[in-house]
Amino acid sequence: MKKPPAVVRWIVYITLVIAAIAINLPFFWMVITAFKNESDVFSMPPKFYPTIFDFRNFVKSFQVVPIARYLLNTTIVALSVTFLQLVFNTLAAYGLARINFKGRTFVFLAIIGTLMVPPEVTLVPLYILVRKMDMVNTFKALIIPFMSSAFGVFLLRQFFMTIPRELEDAARIDGCGRMRILWNIIIPLSKPALWTAALYTFLAHWNSYMWPLVVISSDQKQLIQVGISKFASMWETEWTLQMAASTVAVVPIIVFFFFVQKQFIEGISISGMKE
Amino acid sequence: MKRSQKEHFEGWLFVTPAFLLQMIFVYLPLAYAIFVSFHRWNMIRPMKFVGFKNYVHLFSSGDFWHSLLVTFIYVLGTVPTSVILGLLLAMLLNLWWVRGKGFFRTMFYIPVITAMAAAAVVWNWLFEPNVGLVNFILSLFGVSPKGWLNDPHWAIVALIIVGVWKRIGYNMVIFLAGLQGIPRTYYEAAMIDGATTFPRFWYITLPLLSPTTLFVTIIQFIASFRVFISVSVMTRGGPAKSTEVITYFLYENAFNYLKMGYASTIAVVMFLIMFSLTLVQFKVSKRRVFYQ
Repeated sequence: MKKPPAVVRWIVYITLVIAAIAINLPFFWMVITAFKNESDVFSMPPKFYPTIFDFRNFVKSFQVVPIARYLLNTTIVALSVTFLQLVFNTLAAYGLARINFKGRTFVFLAIIGTLMVPPEVTLVPLYILVRKMDMVNTFKALIIPFMSSAFGVFLLRQFFMTIPRELEDAARIDGCGRMRILWNIIIPLSKPALWTAALYTFLAHWNSYMWPLVVISSDQKQLIQVGISKFASMWETEWTLQMAASTVAVVPIIVFFFFVQKQFIEGISISGMKE
Repeated sequence: MKRSQKEHFEGWLFVTPAFLLQMIFVYLPLAYAIFVSFHRWNMIRPMKFVGFKNYVHLFSSGDFWHSLLVTFIYVLGTVPTSVILGLLLAMLLNLWWVRGKGFFRTMFYIPVITAMAAAAVVWNWLFEPNVGLVNFILSLFGVSPKGWLNDPHWAIVALIIVGVWKRIGYNMVIFLAGLQGIPRTYYEAAMIDGATTFPRFWYITLPLLSPTTLFVTIIQFIASFRVFISVSVMTRGGPAKSTEVITYFLYENAFNYLKMGYASTIAVVMFLIMFSLTLVQFKVSKRRVFYQ
């Protein structure tokens, strides 16, 4: 095929570049502000370059709120949830994909059906339940209710079903049990799907806001997203500190995303699901 | 027979943990929400059965209808804009001669993976009325400064802008997959018949993309109906309740006023609305690839 005339190509590229800049302008502005003097923030027209070249805003924001603590808490919670979900979702997905047991369709529909119940709807009763279990203001409240997810089960089940049965049959004739088949055959073949599932879970819990807002009351146990937004509302006009804190919460994920984006975006277009 | 019994046992062994977890942490709370919605309860004094009183109160409450209205304004502002812009970007990236596709795709996708709470803190700063970047950029085009989050008319617009910003990338990715699913032969046939760019788009791309468009629209409809974080961080429903969306209305009643029964009623009504939306979505996603 012939390329279109240069004018058309220029228009397309310019549109794409402008869109890319516009979409990422908030991040650019966040980082620039994090490296500004407090007085420079209020200059008009704004300065589009950093005015200080050290990390004093970061240091100060780490001093006024326990951001390091938030980061540690969030990492612990997000990793625990990711690990536990991998275990329970994989087990269930394998059972649903491969074992022919009575009630399989029912269990599958029951698990998938939870996708129809958004977390906003169960926010109040889940809070009451967690309170009855005496878990309010603990990491348990952030981890235990999320040890399995319908989305994860569904994603892995779909993937397991594409693995040829013959591989498994051969192993079964050799006398392998289900667990060994899962561990030695299915899991090694499913690494891409498991990675995708793990990435989704980790990201969702790194970014989680509503549930920790409701269930965690002490600052020492708070997660990063709620932590920095509370900080922002308390230090309303301290833009340099707010942007330094936001940079800490956002940039690691963006950098991480650059490494895993292929897997991630392809996972989305395959499953057509989100978050 | 023995074999199938063993299968039966093994099957349940594998699925039980996930199954129980979903039962306890999703279905039990859902049932409990329905139960509590028939009671008056502030979590301090014992629960009192009140029948349909909460529902009557809810449907006759101006605040409830107001929050539904605000939510729909938000949805109607966010969904079409983000779908059209997502489609536009996907079509540009789908041109065969465009280079750097992976790079652009990643750049457009960054807001999707970014935490809404942290992004909302940044948008607070961008929308600052006196020295914020948004008003500065508008001033370059001769637009007078707006009060944004302090102005009851503009606060919802600000939230819509943030919502569109967050969602474009997701729509683009789904549209890209949809576009790549359209067989090349259709375009080739049209070229032989002498069809130019616009008719090709109008008579081939758009109709064949319609299942994807419908899917994206419904997914985004549900997602924006659930908007909470940006409201919670940026406006807290204000100013003058102008951004009090339904989720925030629920949150306030539950955790600021401790009206657990009333809040559960809101949750049940929300569930019914979203349940019907999701049913539509499931129907649509089944038909999603009918042309292949």
